[in-house]
Amino acid sequence: MQCAESLRVQAYFDREVDAVSAAEIERHAEHCSECRALLEDLEKVRTTMRRHVTYSAAPPALRAQILRALDQEGATGQTDIAATPPSKPRSLARQPRLWRGRAFWTGTFSGIGGAAMAAAIAFFLVMPAMVNPLTNDLVNAHVRSLMPEHLIDVVSTDKHTVKPWFAGHADVSPVVADFESQGYKLIGGRADYIDHQRSAVVVYQHGSHFINVFTWAGADRRNLNNTTRNGYHLAFWQQGDIQYCAVSDAGWDEIQGLARLLREQA
Amino acid sequence: MDDKRARFEEQVLPHLDAAYRFARWLCYAPGDADDVVQDAVLRAFRGFDALRGSDAKSWLLTIVRNCHLTAAKQQQRRAFVPLPEENDEVDGHAMTATTADPEGESILSDQKQTLERLMASLPEEHRTVLMLREIEEMDYAQIAAVTHVPIGTVMSRLARSRAALKAKWLQEVEGEPRAVR
Repeated sequence: MQCAESLRVQAYFDREVDAVSAAEIERHAEHCSECRALLEDLEKVRTTMRRHVTYSAAPPALRAQILRALDQEGATGQTDIAATPPSKPRSLARQPRLWRGRAFWTGTFSGIGGAAMAAAIAFFLVMPAMVNPLTNDLVNAHVRSLMPEHLIDVVSTDKHTVKPWFAGHADVSPVVADFESQGYKLIGGRADYIDHQRSAVVVYQHGSHFINVFTWAGADRRNLNNTTRNGYHLAFWQQGDIQYCAVSDAGWDEIQGLARLLREQA
Repeated sequence: MDDKRARFEEQVLPHLDAAYRFARWLCYAPGDADDVVQDAVLRAFRGFDALRGSDAKSWLLTIVRNCHLTAAKQQQRRAFVPLPEENDEVDGHAMTATTADPEGESILSDQKQTLERLMASLPEEHRTVLMLREIEEMDYAQIAAVTHVPIGTVMSRLARSRAALKAKWLQEVEGEPRAVR
């Protein structure tokens, strides 16, 4: 009843297949009406969800409470999770025995064990990429921008406002455009200091995610390969003599989508 | 110690919003989500040394999910709490009798509520993969890590949850069985 290729078609939709498989699947879908319908359905579910799901940010009170709890945590000294049973959670009186349940330990150990293993592997994989301090600067700048009041210097959804603003505040004049209909809403611009110059940063919102597009002058691509740091993706490209880097915790696919649109503007 | 705290704030806390969103979808009641997130962040902090360079977001969401499962096990009697609007156990067919005029100005917010209700009616493991893929925009490998299942399972859960959500949505929002659009 269901086409045997449906899972592969879904993987294609989610951009989880390589170029060769993608070509195969596209050929298949040309002849299989069921898979064509499936692709439409997948798109429909995605659009509907991204349009209607409420994006709630963590309430400021919760954030403050967590920071306080971390302060206390720091004060009690460094407890090694594997060695000592954690102390009773202070502010979680409603779940007093939470820490001692067997499920917690099995859950945590498998989680931490897996994470440790992944960390060990990732550490070696990531090493070469860390050589470039620019990557660090970009991720740090992105994280800094997410702190309250830091994201935007000029708030505007109008490229004719954002672009001229850069003239007085940055050393480059990047492509600025609004792609709201494609899901990337222009929300403003910011000046930042990247690679020893005043960089122009264009800020987009995609669903619940912010995407910072950093731009700075420089024709030499010093091994600026796309990479992932601390859960943030960095996509690099160049247009003319301006270097671009989009940083976000949005999906790869979504970031590349914005990069494509921006390149087409040039 | 201070250094650990600084690194933690720099690497993990930026994902607090994602953790909170995820928790909200796992447990619904905002108070419960608060507890789960706080619990998770503290555990993450204690186990922070294990992270080192890997994907902080997947890691934090994994811990959120573990905390949620632990907490849920403790209160088994309410394994599933439907959103306030109505009890939707009849699987999509329990239409709201209170529908205002469907052409009203509040259609969009109605659709929001409907979607949330339909999402809530999905089994938890389906809801989870859908949220992680469509809202958090994670790839299959990250979702597999967060949910502790093989990638093949992620794919089949995604396929089933998408099909289920689409069917329910068509039924409720776009009229009767998929004939007219």
